[in-house]
Amino acid sequence: MIEMLMTAIKFLLITIFSSALGLLFMGIARKVIARIQKRYGPPFYQPYLDVIKLFGKNAITHGFIFDFGSIMALGGVIATLFFIPLGGWYLYSMSGTVILVIYLLAIASLGMAMGTVGSGNPQASLGISRALTQMLGYELPFLVILFGLIYKYQTSSIVGLMEAQAGGFMNWNLFTYPIATIIAFIVLLGMMGKKPFDAMIAPSEIGSGPVVESGGKYLGMMMLQKSITIIIELALFVNLFLGGAENILIFILKMLIVWITATMIGSLYPRFRIEDGVLFYWKWPLMIAIVQVLFIIF
Amino acid sequence: MKDKFKRGKWKEFLDWAQNRSLSMLHYCTGCGAIELPPTMTSRYDMSRFGIGPAATPRQADLLLVTGYLSTKTLRRLIYTYEQMQEPKFVVGFGSCTINGGMYWDSYNTIKQLDKYLPVEMYIAGCMPRPEAILDGLLKLKDKIETGEAKGYEEYKENIEFYHKNQEEALGEVQRTQ
Amino acid sequence: MRNEKEVIKLIENNLDPLEINKKRKQNLSVSFTPDKTIQSLSFLKSNSYKHLSTISCVDWIDDNEFELVYHLFSYEDYINISVKTRIDRDKATFVTLKEIWPVAEFYERDIHDFFGVEFEGNDNLEELILENWNEIPPMRKDFDTREFVNEEYEWRDYNGQKHTD
Repeated sequence: MIEMLMTAIKFLLITIFSSALGLLFMGIARKVIARIQKRYGPPFYQPYLDVIKLFGKNAITHGFIFDFGSIMALGGVIATLFFIPLGGWYLYSMSGTVILVIYLLAIASLGMAMGTVGSGNPQASLGISRALTQMLGYELPFLVILFGLIYKYQTSSIVGLMEAQAGGFMNWNLFTYPIATIIAFIVLLGMMGKKPFDAMIAPSEIGSGPVVESGGKYLGMMMLQKSITIIIELALFVNLFLGGAENILIFILKMLIVWITATMIGSLYPRFRIEDGVLFYWKWPLMIAIVQVLFIIF
Repeated sequence: MKDKFKRGKWKEFLDWAQNRSLSMLHYCTGCGAIELPPTMTSRYDMSRFGIGPAATPRQADLLLVTGYLSTKTLRRLIYTYEQMQEPKFVVGFGSCTINGGMYWDSYNTIKQLDKYLPVEMYIAGCMPRPEAILDGLLKLKDKIETGEAKGYEEYKENIEFYHKNQEEALGEVQRTQ
Repeated sequence: MRNEKEVIKLIENNLDPLEINKKRKQNLSVSFTPDKTIQSLSFLKSNSYKHLSTISCVDWIDDNEFELVYHLFSYEDYINISVKTRIDRDKATFVTLKEIWPVAEFYERDIHDFFGVEFEGNDNLEELILENWNEIPPMRKDFDTREFVNEEYEWRDYNGQKHTD
């Protein structure tokens, strides 16, 4: 009984911690982009105020499926969070494999798709079809690289892949397989929706995509979902390619470095069209990933 | 009408958060829309006060009416205003919303915006400079924090007055919700 | 590439205009009677004047007539030609140009909205720019816009000092 209570408290703490950290990272990104453009930006605690304001507005609902879609998106993302090791905090990650995490990440997109079906706006369905098409694009090179790594280290659990890189700084996958790391970084840009791959949000073309009809608390839930998604994807990248960490503070430092690099690269480029984005992923990154995996195997 | 009931503690906290993060939908109707991009970009930066752009009416709090309105545009503006969620604020920009401005003797523009929508603050000038825009928006932020910006409640209370004026100018207006 | 003089000679030999003159460089104006206008326009179209820029209308209230002006341009000669006709003001009707240039439907709709000219053969003469308009067409010279504005809209009261005029 006490154990169940302790586990429930741990669930709550991990969720609140990663959501707060994700919102802080979003604020830091806005400040970095502002300084690149030679101006002061909003203060770095701005997303907290945005979320508080959004939960205080009235919102109208479009029916049961719309509500259920928002809850499913947020719930799916929280469920994925428990299978990834964050620094020294393991919850269920002893039994979590990489393939399970990728499978669960799709539930969030399906939840948003259900929400857009309920709202009935054609721009929302355009946005969500672009997001799902892009997922089709970036999964291919990512899975090719993952199968290469699984073959090399003969294990597919994330904790196992993390511990195989222990023992020194030159053992990280960043230095033993640098080309695979670069391809995985390009895939990370597509997963997080940064430019040049942000055709699914596209604020002036289709009116910000799937969240076009949400206002008030639904938009607040979507912002929280986005913040937890950022933490999941960054943690996955750091665990697989940068060696993970035992201490939570060093882990946060590594995630921050990857995040600032991705933001700086993303602030320079314009936007790909969705067909060009998917074909880009299937051309050069896929060929280089296949060459790299053949190199690993033989 | 203003002190119907006192503002409770919860509403004070929400107003504190509301005035620090406004998302703005700029309805570029007339020639005044050309003074907004300088206000948003690097020199007179507007995002350091927390004001940012919003993409759709459902996500916006602030409706910025920049310039003159013909009757065709007024109908679409009323549809946009009624789709926004509460609390919402309207700011009139330039002298064409105050008393007709440069187009006061034209047969096709409306002369006072106050009769059709509840306006919180006017910013005078033909076109106001970015410093004047920032001054007006900062005064609006003070007004929200002390709780005096209640345009949306006045719209709900005097709705027959506003509807009568709208139908006199436009003919028939669709009301969906 | 034709010169302006050659174009003037072409028009004088094959059609019969009332008046031609050269306004300035690369700019001519020709005027016809109303029954000869449509065939002159299609003759000019088959002689490389393929681009209809716009159709405009002038209100001569003292002569009691409307004047319709068609602006044409040629990509081979680089010359603008303005073709003019005069029609009666009280019973303002004319034939449509929709079969020769399909885009003329919108220009005629615009002129019907603002001047009140009827075009036979064009069955899509709805309102294009004005909305919910119940008075006489506003671009005619006997429409007084200040009187209309003072009647229809109210002015703001500045502490008792009324808006004059």
